[in-house]
Amino acid sequence: MLEQGKISPVQMALLMIPAIIATVLLLVPSITAKHAHHDLWLSPIWACGTGFFVVFLSYKLNKLFPEKTIIEYSEHALGKILGKLVGGIFLFFYFHATGIMVREYGEFVSGAALFHTPMAVIIGTMVLVCSFAVLGGLEVMGRASEIIVPVVILLYILLFILLIKDLEVKNLFPIMEKGIRPSLMGSIVPQSWYSEFILVSFLLPYVTNQKKGFKWGLIAVFIVLFLMVLTNIMALLLFGNLTSSLTYPVMVAARYISIADFLEHLESIVMAIWIAGTFIKITVFYYVLALGTAQWLKLSDYRPIVLPIGFLILLQGLWAARDLQELSHFLATSGAIYILSIQVVLPFILLLCASIRKKLGQRKGNKQNETPVNH
Amino acid sequence: MKLRSIIENGLLRFFLICSVISLSGCWDRNEVNDLALITAAGFDMVSDEKIELSVLVFIPKGGGSSDQAMESGNGGASQTLVRSAEGKTVADAMAKLQEKLPRKIFWGHTDVFILDEELAKKGIAGHVDFIMRHPTLRERGQIFVSSQKAKKVLKLMPPLERDLSEVLKELSQHKLGLNITTKKLAQMLIGDSGDCALPWITILPPENKEKPKQTIAYITGTAIFKKDKMIGIIDDSVTRGVLWLRNEILLGVITIKPPKTDGYISVNVLQAQSKLVPKIQNGKWIITLKSVSASDIVQNTTKLDVSNPVVLKSLEPLLAKEIEKRIKKARNQVQEEMKADIFGFAEAFHRKYPDVWNKKKNRWNEIYPNVELKFDTKCHIRRQGLTS
Repeated sequence: MLEQGKISPVQMALLMIPAIIATVLLLVPSITAKHAHHDLWLSPIWACGTGFFVVFLSYKLNKLFPEKTIIEYSEHALGKILGKLVGGIFLFFYFHATGIMVREYGEFVSGAALFHTPMAVIIGTMVLVCSFAVLGGLEVMGRASEIIVPVVILLYILLFILLIKDLEVKNLFPIMEKGIRPSLMGSIVPQSWYSEFILVSFLLPYVTNQKKGFKWGLIAVFIVLFLMVLTNIMALLLFGNLTSSLTYPVMVAARYISIADFLEHLESIVMAIWIAGTFIKITVFYYVLALGTAQWLKLSDYRPIVLPIGFLILLQGLWAARDLQELSHFLATSGAIYILSIQVVLPFILLLCASIRKKLGQRKGNKQNETPVNH
Repeated sequence: MKLRSIIENGLLRFFLICSVISLSGCWDRNEVNDLALITAAGFDMVSDEKIELSVLVFIPKGGGSSDQAMESGNGGASQTLVRSAEGKTVADAMAKLQEKLPRKIFWGHTDVFILDEELAKKGIAGHVDFIMRHPTLRERGQIFVSSQKAKKVLKLMPPLERDLSEVLKELSQHKLGLNITTKKLAQMLIGDSGDCALPWITILPPENKEKPKQTIAYITGTAIFKKDKMIGIIDDSVTRGVLWLRNEILLGVITIKPPKTDGYISVNVLQAQSKLVPKIQNGKWIITLKSVSASDIVQNTTKLDVSNPVVLKSLEPLLAKEIEKRIKKARNQVQEEMKADIFGFAEAFHRKYPDVWNKKKNRWNEIYPNVELKFDTKCHIRRQGLTS
C-alpha cells in the first residue's frame, strides 16, 4: 500500500466535515436562495439523501474490495481498460474540482479583503501550505483536522449566537408558498456538495475500523446537514428576500453583528473559519488526487508527485473560470449535473458491476469447487 | 553525503532569508496612518446630472499633551474634517474625492449616511446599491434624510459628542424615531410593496448665535417613500404611531387626561410589543394590530389615588385609547394621504395568504389605501412609582 498511516473513524469524519462545509458556508445560501426563495432552509434537508447514499455506496464498495481505493478497484470491477478509463475520469474530475476549490478560495479572499494581491499569489500560498500537509501523509492530516475542525465549528456557532438578537422569525413564512418544487430545485446544488462524500471511499481503506468508519461517515453527513440548515436559516432570518442578491451572505451576516457597541467588525472570524476550513478541504482533495494518481500509474510512492500536482492545481485554479460570476454560474447550473454524475452515478455503476462480477465468480467457483476468485 | 546535506542546508537558509523580502509587505498592506477613516458620508444633489459626496474624516489625535492643548485652545480645535467632491454617481464622486485626500479613503467605520431632500425625492435606489455593493462598507450603517444640505449637516461641531456621526448614531439608538440600517432599507426596497421610510433630521437651532456651528442635527420625524422616491414627511409624534405599527417602539411617555378630574397622568412605556394580524373577510382586507405593553406611572397631577387598584385598572382603557389615537393619526397620514405601505402590511398578507397575494399583488396599490385597521390593545400599568 502506498499510504502506511492509519486514521481513526473520528478523524475521518473530522476530515470529511470541512471537506464539504468549507465552501458551502459562503456560496450555497445565495445559490439555493435563487431557486428556493423562502424555502432555502428546506433544500439541504431534501438533498441530504444523496450524502447518505454516497456514504453507503463507498462502504459497500469497501466491503467488496477491502484495503483498496476506488482507483484500484475500478480495474477489478470493470476490467483493465475500462477500469483505467474510469480511474482517469475520477482523477481528472478531482483535478478539476480542486482547481475550482482553490479558485473559490482565491475569489473570496481577493474579493473581500486583498483587492490588489494577484490571484496567483493568494492561490499559490494556499496550495503550498496544503502540499506540506499532503506530504506529511494521512495521519498528519487527520491530526491537524482534530485540532482545527472543532475550533471552526465552535466559532461558527458563536457567530450564530451573536446574531440571535437581529434574527426575525417572521421571515420564515410562508413555508412552501409555491409548493415543494422550488425547494427541490434548490436542493440540486447542495446535492452536488453532499456527493463529495464519495471521498470516504478513498479514506476508508486507511481507517482502523471500517464498520465504525461507516457509522462516523453517516454522523458526518448529519453534522454537515445541521450546519447547512443552520447557515441557510441564519441567512434567511437575517436577510429575508435579500439573501439571493448577496454574494456572501455569511460574511455580511458576521459584519452585521453589533453587540453593545464594541463587539463589532467580526468578519475576520468568518475569514478565519473559511481559511482553516478550506485548508482541510483542499488538503483532502489534493491528497486524494496525489494518492489516486500514484495508484493509477502504479508508482511505489505518491510523495514525489505531490509538488508537481500542486503546480498543476495552481494553474487549474487560475484557468477554472474567468471571474466569480462564471464560477458560481457554473456551480449553480451545469456543474451540479457534472459533479453528481461522476460522484454518484459512476460509483453506483461500479458497485453494480462489482456485485454482478462477484456473484458470477462465486457461481463459477461453486461449480468447479474452487476457492472464490481472488481479485 | 555530508557535502550534500551542507548544500541542502545552505539552500534552505538562503530561501528562508529571501522570503523575508516578500514577507515584509504585500499588495494590500494598509497602515493606519495612511488611511482616512470616514465616520459619516453625505450625498447631495447638485444638479440633475451631478451629485456631491461629502465625507466626515476622523482626525486621530496624539496622546495627552495634545489633548491639553486642545482644551486650552478654547475648545474650538476640531477633530474632524469635511471634504467633498462632485460626480455622476457616488463611486465617481469618491474617485474625485480621493484626489483631494492625501490618505486612502477607508469606509470600514462609516456608520452614518445622510441624503439630502432633493436627492431623496429623485430616488435613492441607485445610491443604496453603492452602499450594499462596496466590499468594505458595513450593512449596519444608518441612513437619514436631511432637510438641509448634507454637507452643511456634516460640518456641524457637536458640543457633547466626538462628531456628528456619533450624535446621530446615539440618537437613533433611543428609538424615538425610526432606526433604519442599510440592510433594513435594502430589504424594504425589494419587499412586497417596495415602499420605505427613513428618519428625517433637521439642524437644531444653536444656543449661542455667535457659534452657529456648535449644534447638532436631530431626528424630527420620518421621510416617507413611495418605492424609492420621497413623497412626504410626518412629524415626530406621528412617527410614534408608525413605530407601534412596525413593532419598533422602545420607550416613550404617554400622557392621559382622566375624565372628571383636573390634571394629567403620565406613564412611561417600558415594554411594548406589537404584531400585525391580517385577515381577508368577504373580499375585505383587514389588519388587526395586536399590542401588549407594560408601563409605569411617572407623574400624577390629578387628585386620583393611583395606589388603588380599581383606579389603576380604570386608567388602562384610557391609555389604550391614547395609544390607538396615535396609531390612527399615523395611519391616516401615511396610509390614506400618502398611500405608502411602510408598515409591512403587504408582507403580512403575503405570509398569511400566499395564494390570494400572488393573484392580487399587482393590484396592491389599489387595495392598500382601503385596508381596514383594527386594534387589540392590551395595556398594563405595573407600578405607580415611588410615591403614592
